[in-house]
Amino acid sequence: MNGFQLYFRLIQISLQGHMQYRANFIAGILGLIVWNVINLGLIGILVTQFTSLNNWTLWELVFLYCLWILGHSLYSLFFSHTNQLEDYLIEGTFDQFLLRPASPLIQLLGRELQYNEIADLLIGVTGLSLAYAQLALDWDGWKWSFFIMAVLSGAVIVWATNLLIACSAFWTGRSRGTFIIVSPFYGLVQQYPVDIFGNAFRIIVTSLIPVAFINYYPALFLLDKLDYTSSGWWLSYMSPLVALLLIGIVSRVWHLALRRYTSSGG
Amino acid sequence: MKTFWAFARQHFHATAIYQLDFWLRVASTPILMYGMRWLWITLYRQRPDAFGVSLQQMVTYAVLSMAIENLFYTGPQFYMARQVRSGAIDGDLLRPLDFHFHMLARSTGEMLFRIIVIAMPAMLVGYFLFDLQLPATLQTGFLFMVTLLLGYLVNFHLDFLLGSLALVTLEIHSIGWAFQATARFFSGQFVPLWLFPGALGIVANILPFRAIVSTPLSIYAGVLRQGDIVQAVGFQLFWLIILLMLSRWLWGRVQTRIVSQGG
Repeated sequence: MNGFQLYFRLIQISLQGHMQYRANFIAGILGLIVWNVINLGLIGILVTQFTSLNNWTLWELVFLYCLWILGHSLYSLFFSHTNQLEDYLIEGTFDQFLLRPASPLIQLLGRELQYNEIADLLIGVTGLSLAYAQLALDWDGWKWSFFIMAVLSGAVIVWATNLLIACSAFWTGRSRGTFIIVSPFYGLVQQYPVDIFGNAFRIIVTSLIPVAFINYYPALFLLDKLDYTSSGWWLSYMSPLVALLLIGIVSRVWHLALRRYTSSGG
Repeated sequence: MKTFWAFARQHFHATAIYQLDFWLRVASTPILMYGMRWLWITLYRQRPDAFGVSLQQMVTYAVLSMAIENLFYTGPQFYMARQVRSGAIDGDLLRPLDFHFHMLARSTGEMLFRIIVIAMPAMLVGYFLFDLQLPATLQTGFLFMVTLLLGYLVNFHLDFLLGSLALVTLEIHSIGWAFQATARFFSGQFVPLWLFPGALGIVANILPFRAIVSTPLSIYAGVLRQGDIVQAVGFQLFWLIILLMLSRWLWGRVQTRIVSQGG
């Protein structure tokens, strides 16, 4: 079995486990739909009362939100187990991954399929389609391929950022705290255009925690909001590069981490 | 009352053990304050005359809302769900102590802990960095604390009711999540209720959620007038009494159900 086959075999096993609890499956999906509709509802109220948010109209904001949701759903559907790395390290159960003759990373990622994230996927696609129609967008082939690249890059950026944070547990023993610190950044970038928050914020979400590349920067280009006279206009095209760069960093850090690892188990 | 404080104190200390995570939460709150403040500044720049509330009041409302947000995650719902799943609820029921009372003491302990460790430092940060105004008068500050306490109690009972349902449905996680999202929406935590349009505004005014966040915050920011304050407090009390009775009733029914389930 190669890595991919192994990953999907593990996912299949996890899914079979989940399907034993069908009511949970449905409740989980409904829960996520309510959650997203409410988030969008809040933005909707603000924008209808104030007509726009820093020149972002309602449907442009829906587009922004759903671009995030779509990229993020791909991540959380397949790889959300990344965040649980800390638990394995603390309990000493990470050893099991090292003992089996397969890549520890694939074993970790294949651990769980976050099946109810299907809801996020649906919401992302629905929201983007609605926004596409409402904004009367008409993309050529180049924009469509950029869009697909942007969604995939988004998924990679969330995954890589989270795995890097999770990996910090190899050195410090804990990573949950860092997730707590970064989660407000995730929430704000997901829901609002970065340009309303001032420069300090923009610099952080562009460089240190590059989540603005998941939705904000590609959306500027895809929605024709790009101002080519501004100094950072080229950032709009950078999502795929940022994703590649992060993959490089993550694989380096992961190997360093494995070499460093000493079990906490007794 | 002595038992109440004993349990509250015990849970206060239990929470304090996980201090690191709490401090990090304190550290993450200013990021949200920063974001919310910019959001409202941007919106007001577009329409400075919006809705008769000054930017300063709006920023105070939004920043304070982030500071006290954590107080509303102290309900017993997840504890109850966990105890049911692990079967440890037996132990809770065997205690010679009213369960509802026990949960209230537990949550209050955690809430007090969060006030001291999260809300108060966050308010200080808000005051120094994010234009959080002091309440206009001492009386306003006092009313804020009273209505915040009432809001906490309303939130506790909603949470307790949901937790009681967990004993019947055995799994509450997703429902709890959807419920929390709804509650946050209608409580005015992110967008104040006076901005809600037409029918949505009417619904928000009837549902109990506005008693939790909107009432104390509107009083603090000076949005409510004297007469409105009396009405708002009356509304809080009204829902508190209903939810209290509902909790007692539902718990009574659910409890006998557990007894019949046990073997």
